[in-house]
Amino acid sequence: MSKMPNLAEDFVKKMFLKYYSECFDQVCIPNLFKKREFGGLLSKERIMIRHRKIETAAELQEFLCSIIPSDVYFSSAYYEQPDAPEMNSKGWFGADLIFDVDADHLSTPCDKIHDDWICSKCGFAGKGISPEKCPVCNSEKFDVKTWPCELCVNAAKEEIIKLLEMLKSDFGFSDKEVHVFFSGHRGYHIHVEDDSIRTLDSVARKEIVDYVCGLGLTVAFGRSRYNDSDALNLLRTLRLSNYGWRGRIAQGVYNFISNAAREDYQNIGLKKNFVEAILANRNMILKNWREKGTLPLIKGVGVKNWSKIAEHCARVQSANVDTVVTTDIHRLIRLAGTLHGKTALKKMEFQPSEIEDFDPFKDAIAFKDGSTSVLVHSAPEFRLGDITFGPYKSEKVELPTAAALLLVCKNRAEVVSDGI
Amino acid sequence: MQTVFSKLAKNDYAKYPFLKDATKYVKTPNLKIEDLEDPSLEKILNRAEQRVKDAILYNTINKTPHFDEDIELMSFPIAIILAVATKNAYIQKRYALAEAKRATEDLKKEPKEKILKIAQNFEWKLDTTTSEKIPGEFSLKFTDYLRNITHLQTKEWKLVNHILLNGNIHLTKDETARLLQEEIRKHIEKRLEIKELPNFPPKIIETAEKIKKLAAEKIGKAEMEGFPEIISQSAFPPCINALYEAISKGRHLSHVGRFTLTSFLVNIGMSPDKVIELFKNFSDYNDRMTRYQVEHIAGERGSRTHYKPPKCTTLQTHGVCTNSDKRCKKIRNPLGYYKNKLESS
Repeated sequence: MSKMPNLAEDFVKKMFLKYYSECFDQVCIPNLFKKREFGGLLSKERIMIRHRKIETAAELQEFLCSIIPSDVYFSSAYYEQPDAPEMNSKGWFGADLIFDVDADHLSTPCDKIHDDWICSKCGFAGKGISPEKCPVCNSEKFDVKTWPCELCVNAAKEEIIKLLEMLKSDFGFSDKEVHVFFSGHRGYHIHVEDDSIRTLDSVARKEIVDYVCGLGLTVAFGRSRYNDSDALNLLRTLRLSNYGWRGRIAQGVYNFISNAAREDYQNIGLKKNFVEAILANRNMILKNWREKGTLPLIKGVGVKNWSKIAEHCARVQSANVDTVVTTDIHRLIRLAGTLHGKTALKKMEFQPSEIEDFDPFKDAIAFKDGSTSVLVHSAPEFRLGDITFGPYKSEKVELPTAAALLLVCKNRAEVVSDGI
Repeated sequence: MQTVFSKLAKNDYAKYPFLKDATKYVKTPNLKIEDLEDPSLEKILNRAEQRVKDAILYNTINKTPHFDEDIELMSFPIAIILAVATKNAYIQKRYALAEAKRATEDLKKEPKEKILKIAQNFEWKLDTTTSEKIPGEFSLKFTDYLRNITHLQTKEWKLVNHILLNGNIHLTKDETARLLQEEIRKHIEKRLEIKELPNFPPKIIETAEKIKKLAAEKIGKAEMEGFPEIISQSAFPPCINALYEAISKGRHLSHVGRFTLTSFLVNIGMSPDKVIELFKNFSDYNDRMTRYQVEHIAGERGSRTHYKPPKCTTLQTHGVCTNSDKRCKKIRNPLGYYKNKLESS
């Protein structure tokens, strides 16, 4: 929420207070909460209140209802003294393992056409992903108004699905230790709470990030200076039954060959004659691979081309997470069950097994009753629950509270009359 | 598994005297530091001295022609005392590494069961692999693996290049022994961290002095030298050059990028004032905030920690590493590049 008109600000505060007073049972009190730091963002002043220690649930509610933060955070870290003002005197003794996947960092099928950007220097404005430089004044700083569209959030969900699979089969975590959340805006979070990872330092967490992102993956697995014959040996021994990343790549290559069309090969940089050679032998390659166990290399397609396919498949299989969040062992993260200041939706936990069915634009709605009249400047078409709204352009509409709040929090609308 | 038959014997503790239970086999466990003057302990003291000297001269501990279990067992804790008495962090680190290396050479020849036992000593969750489908003889809980690869920077040690299955990393025997070397080194380094030094008897002080002299001759002072006062931009690594260019033009830098540049510049001797000057090119420049952050990184505020730039691998993770060249392969940190280039020019 940046620079909101007073009326809108009051409306949001009033609704947030109502939520924390009446629905406090939906706020999740984290494990070992007495050992964690809490914080909240004051939207109007843009001030972060932090280094708070919470001893009881009632104290947390009191904190939320008195300050009415636009966003509520707690530390992934555990401290001897969570309220010490200096990080060094807090007495860090561990931290959960956190992953953040946000559509902001992903390329999405919608190309973020719903986002508005405006050059902070000259005011030139446009839609979609902001350019590197302003076409008018060459400035590189923009104010971006993002929009949480379904395609964006689904792109983040795809990454989370890949990540969940790795956390389970590779890292061996069970559903008990892995908690999945919708962030309340354009992404998902995963918190892993387990004794074994608690004391890992940031270097060790970086290795975990590199693993899930497939960074540093030598397709030759372990050979730092591999030459063509090494790569050839590797490709010859690539089995569908391999484990870990090797298996993941084998499976990826198999699926790619099964489904890829001419242009898919060309998009990853293969020359026409190689593409034709693979396409002509597609069924033979797949059949032999399944039956004989190893990838059958065919004449006319050199190691370099196979490596290109393998590398592309590795990229597709990797989970695109925010690298900074996971490696930061003092991170403040949004508290589950609290409202997101940009949407008034809840950060919400769901079972990993339910990820396919989880509907953020329905399940994370915090305000289910009432309606409010708003003057919408501009908004793309969007859905909340089972209702589709908009698109709107400079018009006054009466909307269910959740939809009105979303537009107001996103700075897309002003409050006309307080509906409640 | 045959762990039942693999109890460690006195001979094993003589080979691996850093193990927890080794003291049980020491003849005079209640030996006091002043007893070291006793001439009857001369052989042990000599062996202890040789251990530390070998570390300096050969980077490992050589075997003695007359292997005596008691002398091996006893000389280890005394070698620790000697290394502590030198009060020289470099000698201590070198000694810890040499002991660990020597142990690893032996470990590679041990049967699997014995390796399991020794790993148990460090509370590793290590097991032998039973499946024929998976290459490697051992499986290790990934967290134990991660705790020990911090200093192993080559690509083959990256987690992503190993088979990780149900929380376990699959390893060969040599890899397992190499990882144990890291654990042993850390363990010995910890034993060398004695906060309150006792009063050493004259003989120990005398021997420690001899060791220090040897180290000065062999290793030289170059290792400890810092950076020259004049900053030479021509020796900046590519990543820093890119950041430097970006900041000079007022282009946006990520948080990691800003931290890397600032910590690099203050480490090579640029004053915080000069660094702050650079940040003035940003449109969102805030004097108070920038000053606070730069001085914090320089160790002039808050916790007084003097921050070093992140390692190359960390910069790769966060996308700060760029245009790496041949020299980058030789170093692990942007500062190493700067030092290396200065020395070779």
